[in-house]
Amino acid sequence: MQYAERILDAIDMETFILARDEGEAKGFMGRFLADLGFTDHDIVFLEQVGPGVRVRARAYIHRPGGSYGWLAEGDDNGG
Amino acid sequence: MVAEKKKILLVPLDPVHDMGLKLIRKALDDKGHSTVLLPPGMEPYEVVERILDEVEIDFVLVSRTLGYRVGELLARFVDLVEVSGLRDRVTLVVGGMAVRPELAAEMGFDAGFGPGTTPGEVVAFIEDRPFAYGGRAEASEGGKRDLTHGFSYVYRKKEIQKRLAAIAGDIMGWAANKTSPGVERARLRFQALNKGEKYREEFLEEYLDYCDELVVLSYKRKQLPDQTRFLAQDELHFLKQYQNWEGRSKAARSGIRKPDVFIQYGTGCPLMDIMHIKVCEAWGADGLVHFDPSGGARTEGLLEGYLAHGEDGTLLTWENLRLIKNFLAPNTLWQVRAHRGLNTPETVVLAGELGADLTKINMAYASLGAGMDPARITIDGVEAIRWAAHYDLPFDVVTNEELSGVPAHKAFAGMLIIAHLALQLGGRPILQPLFCRSPEVMIYGQMRDNYIDYNAAKILALQQIIDAPLWPGAPIGFLTHTEDRVQSSLTTALHASLARSLGVEAISIASSDEAYAGGPIAAASRVDTLRATHEAFRFFGRAGIQPTPRAREWSKELIAGISKVLKDVANSGSFVQSLYRGLLGGPEDGAYPGRVGRDTLLRKEKGKDV
Repeated sequence: MQYAERILDAIDMETFILARDEGEAKGFMGRFLADLGFTDHDIVFLEQVGPGVRVRARAYIHRPGGSYGWLAEGDDNGG
Repeated sequence: MVAEKKKILLVPLDPVHDMGLKLIRKALDDKGHSTVLLPPGMEPYEVVERILDEVEIDFVLVSRTLGYRVGELLARFVDLVEVSGLRDRVTLVVGGMAVRPELAAEMGFDAGFGPGTTPGEVVAFIEDRPFAYGGRAEASEGGKRDLTHGFSYVYRKKEIQKRLAAIAGDIMGWAANKTSPGVERARLRFQALNKGEKYREEFLEEYLDYCDELVVLSYKRKQLPDQTRFLAQDELHFLKQYQNWEGRSKAARSGIRKPDVFIQYGTGCPLMDIMHIKVCEAWGADGLVHFDPSGGARTEGLLEGYLAHGEDGTLLTWENLRLIKNFLAPNTLWQVRAHRGLNTPETVVLAGELGADLTKINMAYASLGAGMDPARITIDGVEAIRWAAHYDLPFDVVTNEELSGVPAHKAFAGMLIIAHLALQLGGRPILQPLFCRSPEVMIYGQMRDNYIDYNAAKILALQQIIDAPLWPGAPIGFLTHTEDRVQSSLTTALHASLARSLGVEAISIASSDEAYAGGPIAAASRVDTLRATHEAFRFFGRAGIQPTPRAREWSKELIAGISKVLKDVANSGSFVQSLYRGLLGGPEDGAYPGRVGRDTLLRKEKGKDV
């Protein structure tokens, strides 16, 4: 996850999922993020309109107060 | 049918806020239901005591913004209701910020309403009836809107009318003895569609004489162009599950009937188009524009079959269009563009036979902005207008040649010529000024201070010339978009609000991928701009956007410029030669007449070359 260390705090993914309801879409998106290797994630926004659900999902890389990988990365690269 | 009257307890299970419940209470009271609104900040056990005290409560509507530990509070409330033996007697509903139906269900509520819920939606739930959302519901009551309805097409500038009459007369006189492969194909297509399948062989024998080799091979050997494929039967079959889909829809407006909001679809694949269409309809699009590939417009003849290809724009075939048409919501306006290629008249025939609501024709744009030979497209355009009149099909007269560098007054002169010609031929034209940051304004600085005044000047100028419908496009805000989706959605929404403030009939909006050229538009990007437009309409409501006095001054300059161009074209005695000579936009503007279809005209009587 070296590249991920450069992400300031979080990465958002937004898409439109064909799903029966928001619960199903939430499940799909959560599993998708887990498959991608994101362990700390949340669903920021869900809205069912039309044939599916608009979703904004977030994977936290560095939560405030945590250990910031980009500090070390910056040091490695001369700041 | 009159809804049964209910008794509803409204519970702001919140330390302070009860505004939402007050609005809902008013709506319920107006419908004759009996309501009791509790004060904010009560504990769950106190609320349960009130439910026990009240007689025959049917619904308990709890309002609470979800946050840290609020879920526990609400779940505890539901548990208390349960242990008090009330659960089977009352329907529990929760609403508020961050509430979602599935969250409400997890906490034990019967229903949940989140942000954006209207009081009417809650009333509908209480009365156990379906709720029709906002603008599309309003539209469905009145059916599709005719964008030309109520316009007299009376000129307010008689001198301009006189010049247009002279030019239109010249065009009809010049075109009288000429035809083209495109005109002939349209005639044959019309015959074929009205005589049925038995006529097919006879049709093809003559039709293919007027087609390019690429099209001939597709009919005779089923050999398709590169990156093009037939859709499989099972793909078409599985798509049917979405055919009668009905779901929650949003409105792109709030309370005001116009402008109708159009989006442009054309992913290259009709199946993907259909899914994008269903998303856009649900998110408030009133109309759809079929975007066809530019390559197809440069080929003599149309392919056939359910076809997908890997390029921008969806191929115009009878089957593709019919498939898409079958999936449109009843009140969706559908435009099939015919304006820019060798198949212009035939495309109008397809659109008319399939029951499209609108088409698009402009010979000046087609030659100056889309590469068509002026003589060929004039003949094809006149015939296309005749077909549009035959089908009573309104069409917009697009002015995207501004993007090639043609200044607005010259583009508008060309647009007015085509519109006048259409009126002479019994058509119903819609003027389509471009809301854009065009090369002209970049050079001369009309948008140095703001994007409002010059766009407003365009509308004001046209409104002063003729009483005709206006449909800014296409899309609005052209060349103000970037790849940033927030910026792109915002600039679209602001241009939409300006158009609405100016009282136009319709607008065409882009997706937030408008400036992205790396691949196909994604559905979520279409939602971005529809949602942004919806919010902007909500924000401005009936309040307008006020241009500065400069808009009025520029509108006068535009009218003077249009009048001068029309005088020059009328004096030249030939519309077609005016296009070749650059009177409606030329090399000094960066625009050149196109060459597609050059030297293809035929003499009408004998079918010989002109």
